[in-house]
Amino acid sequence: MSDTPTRDDRNRSDGPAEPDQFLPDSDPTEQVSADTPARGYSDAQKYQIFNKEFMPHIDSMYNFAFRLTTDEDDANDLVQDTYLKAFRFISSFEQGTNAKAWLFRILKNSFINDYRKKSKEPAKVDYQDVETTYNSEDAESEHTVDLRAESVSDLIGDEVATALNSLPVDFRTVIILCDIEGFTYEEMAKILDIPIGTVRSRLHRARNLLKEKLRDYASSMGYKEENEE
Amino acid sequence: MKEHCNHSADCLKMIQLILDGEATDQQLVRVKANLESCRPCIEMYQLEKEVKELLTKRMEKRCCPEQLVATIKSRILSFS
Ligand SMILES: [Zn+2]
Repeated sequence: MSDTPTRDDRNRSDGPAEPDQFLPDSDPTEQVSADTPARGYSDAQKYQIFNKEFMPHIDSMYNFAFRLTTDEDDANDLVQDTYLKAFRFISSFEQGTNAKAWLFRILKNSFINDYRKKSKEPAKVDYQDVETTYNSEDAESEHTVDLRAESVSDLIGDEVATALNSLPVDFRTVIILCDIEGFTYEEMAKILDIPIGTVRSRLHRARNLLKEKLRDYASSMGYKEENEE
Repeated sequence: MKEHCNHSADCLKMIQLILDGEATDQQLVRVKANLESCRPCIEMYQLEKEVKELLTKRMEKRCCPEQLVATIKSRILSFS
């Protein structure tokens, strides 16, 4: 599909920084690289920002990384890479702004650039294809999933997690950001680099897919109960 | 009570906006009226709310291992 050259995973930890690929909300006129002195921040301030504004989000970041990679080792690496990048490019972070969204954006970009290829991604979908389809008018008339609230009320966390993990990663991501992390659509648009309209339609589609998976669970449980009687 | 909704796709979108805290006042008024008189919409609302609660409350949250926190902190200190 795309003729974009793929980057080599193995270089990721020590390779040269490529700010454009992960710098959140960077000013395009600004040349930021690892050896540019941080503008405005002394070393002491950098550590303070890191500890006071970045570290408090580490559990959320780890949870996000784990839900994306579905693997503990990958989640460890991803979180570590993200925090090291965040520190290296701390000069592009404006103190007092939304640190959590900034960090999530770095993590999500690192995941796409470095981890997606090797992650245990079950369903390979053509991303472009999915986006085009679900942004079209067809999505507007999409049928609602035939599932009742009572039948999901007995589902447990593991079953929800399995259903969530079975979604293509782009759909999984919007659900995690919205429902688990509570980001607003506007924050999600910034984290994902997509317009708010796309956030809305992707979320809508993701939830319909999730409900289809949950319906399969719920009906298999119903089937079991019938058989036991 | 309406037993059939002619615009359930739109209603579903509105319901999600409300549950996500993204609906405008105008949208709220419109959906609220529907939620009092339209059975399919009431059921949709309950389902969407239940699914959202599954995700927010019933899924295990993984915490960052202490060892990783320590590693990150020491790597940062070695930067300067
Ligand atoms: Zn309705």
